[in-house]
Amino acid sequence: MALDANRETINALNVFPVPDGDTGTNMLLSLRSVIEQLPDGTSESANEVAKIVARSALLGARGNSGLILAQYFKGLSEAIGEDTELTGEHFAKSIRHASDSAYKALPNPVEGTMLTVYRECAEISETAAAQNPDLESVMSIVAVEALKSVQRTPQLLPILAEAEVVDSGGFGFAVMIDGALRSLKGEDPIGRKIPVPMPNDSKFTGAIKTDFVNASEEIEWGYCTVFAIESENIDINKLRDQIAKIGRSAVVDGADGIAKVHVHMEDPGLALTMGLDYGQLSNIEIANMDTQASDWAADRREDTSSEDTNLLPVAVVAVAVGAGLKDLIISTGMGATSVLEGGDTMNPSVSDLLAAVEAAPSENVILLPNNKNIIPAALEVPTLTNKDVRVIQTLSIQTGVAALLEFNNTHDINENQKAMNSVLSEIGDGRVCIATRDANVYGNKIKKGMAFATFNEEIIAVGSEPFSVLTELIEAKGEDAEIITIYTGDSIEKDGIESTDKLLRNKFGDLEIEVIYGGQPHYDFLVAVE
Amino acid sequence: MSIAVVTDSTSDLPVNIASHHNISVVPLNVHIQDDTFRDGIDISAAEMYRKLPDQKVIPTTSAPSVGTFLEFYERLAETHDEIISIHLSSKLSLTHGSAVNAAKEMQSKGTLVKVVDTAQASMALGWTAVEVAELVAKGGTIDEAVIRAENAAGRASFVGMVDTLEYLVRGGRIGKAKGFVGSLLKFRPILTLIEGEVHPVSRVRNRGKGIAELKTMIGDAAPLSKLAVLYTTEEDLAREIAISVTDYAPDGEPIVAQLGPVVGNYLGPGALGFGLIRSASSA
Repeated sequence: MALDANRETINALNVFPVPDGDTGTNMLLSLRSVIEQLPDGTSESANEVAKIVARSALLGARGNSGLILAQYFKGLSEAIGEDTELTGEHFAKSIRHASDSAYKALPNPVEGTMLTVYRECAEISETAAAQNPDLESVMSIVAVEALKSVQRTPQLLPILAEAEVVDSGGFGFAVMIDGALRSLKGEDPIGRKIPVPMPNDSKFTGAIKTDFVNASEEIEWGYCTVFAIESENIDINKLRDQIAKIGRSAVVDGADGIAKVHVHMEDPGLALTMGLDYGQLSNIEIANMDTQASDWAADRREDTSSEDTNLLPVAVVAVAVGAGLKDLIISTGMGATSVLEGGDTMNPSVSDLLAAVEAAPSENVILLPNNKNIIPAALEVPTLTNKDVRVIQTLSIQTGVAALLEFNNTHDINENQKAMNSVLSEIGDGRVCIATRDANVYGNKIKKGMAFATFNEEIIAVGSEPFSVLTELIEAKGEDAEIITIYTGDSIEKDGIESTDKLLRNKFGDLEIEVIYGGQPHYDFLVAVE
Repeated sequence: MSIAVVTDSTSDLPVNIASHHNISVVPLNVHIQDDTFRDGIDISAAEMYRKLPDQKVIPTTSAPSVGTFLEFYERLAETHDEIISIHLSSKLSLTHGSAVNAAKEMQSKGTLVKVVDTAQASMALGWTAVEVAELVAKGGTIDEAVIRAENAAGRASFVGMVDTLEYLVRGGRIGKAKGFVGSLLKFRPILTLIEGEVHPVSRVRNRGKGIAELKTMIGDAAPLSKLAVLYTTEEDLAREIAISVTDYAPDGEPIVAQLGPVVGNYLGPGALGFGLIRSASSA
């Protein structure tokens, strides 16, 4: 895929607000999930294919960019309607639809992002299609204009200009259009690297963070198990429920006596055995994803198997990464809370979130995304399940923990939603980390290896090591705090937690401070100021 | 026809209020190591709280025996025709059961004793007894007194903010709040009684915030017919709270009362709270 060859460049472009660079990976994996779901044969008409693609794109959407990408496929499906062949007009309509629904899907649409690229491409494709409705002709124009639109993003979003990059998601979309066009022309787009359209035609030299890319490639886990079941009268909903219970990322769809099952799990035999109850199996594909995956699956099984099989009045699903934070959330969740692994560098997909919600032991589920980039995917979940799902828009894990403390298992979902929403504005979000590359963040040049502290959306301190910037952060923002909670990252040893606690107590004796092991990657300290 | 009003020591009624309304208070028992104390008689709240933080001493409590109730009832029967006996939630203690058994005994001897399970504790129970005593003083009948007790208990609330979960957990009476227990984060739970069981209200990370929440809860319950601000060890803080909620109190500044050894054994040092009864018109 064209995205594959350009993924690392797209990742490197994704540097804001913390250089977590996962846009390329998220988009690639989202697109892969579409392709995994494509029908095998070529006999399907364009509208049939588009419908399948739209559904699988949404279910496989990973991260913010993946979800915005899914809006494009949804748009494509609606634009084609009952027509059987894809034209330039359909293409124009699909981008228009993608643009409109993406703007709607995000709580705070920001210009200079993928949204802008969508909107400008929609305008251009409409004009082009009016002149010549041929698909190849329209796509050729859009492919060129998409890159130009990407080139202009730093003019609209000052942070991009500061960091000397262009928008990563927008570039990913342009790469995808280019790949699709070349494929349409009969060329092989695989391996083609597209130069980043930097302003003033300068060259993008972003170093590639291989450690990060490695990490994001570890998103998948266990065995990806895909197979078809052939039988008349398959109860798809029942099958889907069962598969979702035993595995993750379950996608089960079907028509005319064939059901397609896609599930990630540690023991693919379980899914196959279950499938055999429904009919004959075919097209079995099992891929080992990686080793970290199986730990994850085992963790997850522990979480769910210990739950009482009785349904609870309300359950909570919280997204978190880090052993300490997971324990903290489970222990604070009043026996009704499960944790879905994910965070900055590993945005769970809509289907991951959906699977966790379906597995939660209640018909009423509160979802805590705990990350700005996971909120849009979380907001898709309520429409995809029969359960009553409320998304509390927690921007950070610190806010998520504060919201969870408001959770009360004797109250109904409405009261809980209200109480949990009420604290969102009361938590200041502090973070301390070490820059993994040279970056220009909120107007401050930060050299690779420097420690820096942010609070909400500003830089508070830059220094040589994390503890000193942490104390500067507390000095600057802790004065009027009722309580400050500090979650230590996986870079801090156990005895480092005690010494941090002691040092802070000595320095800030009059402040109420609690230091607790978080175990999160990337951030040496996460700080909640209440 | 005279009616005696009885409650138990978990009502936390200050002595002057109990005696003013002629309310007899049956003590529960507090057991510390090998010694047994009658709540409020052999052991004061202050003594209890001095002993509590000592990890080696884990006091327990027990209901008054049927015999203790009989002693009270028999003595009161000498000067009264009927008795109404108003008690702590039967879900938290066997006190109500002892009273019921003693009442049967009294009935066979010809004295009517009506026992009411208020499903409340502390001053929510105490104020219920006071409302009943007020009705009895105005000449209410025993049946009216029972209805008033049930009605007042329904309008009553007891809320406590605990400084640490430790005492509640070791006492085992945490009811629906048991989900609170495991959290790795330090917080102060605010608890109440609903249908006689301990229910979680909220978890606060900071005492100031918790005090603000208590005040808000008092304001939300207004108009009130009775209000007491409660504490185990920090009288000054309780007085500050009382002053700031004076507007909601029916007769000027609210009563400030110390939580007694039994309830205090579960809430522990540093606990703050309130017991109130909403006005009948707002119920």
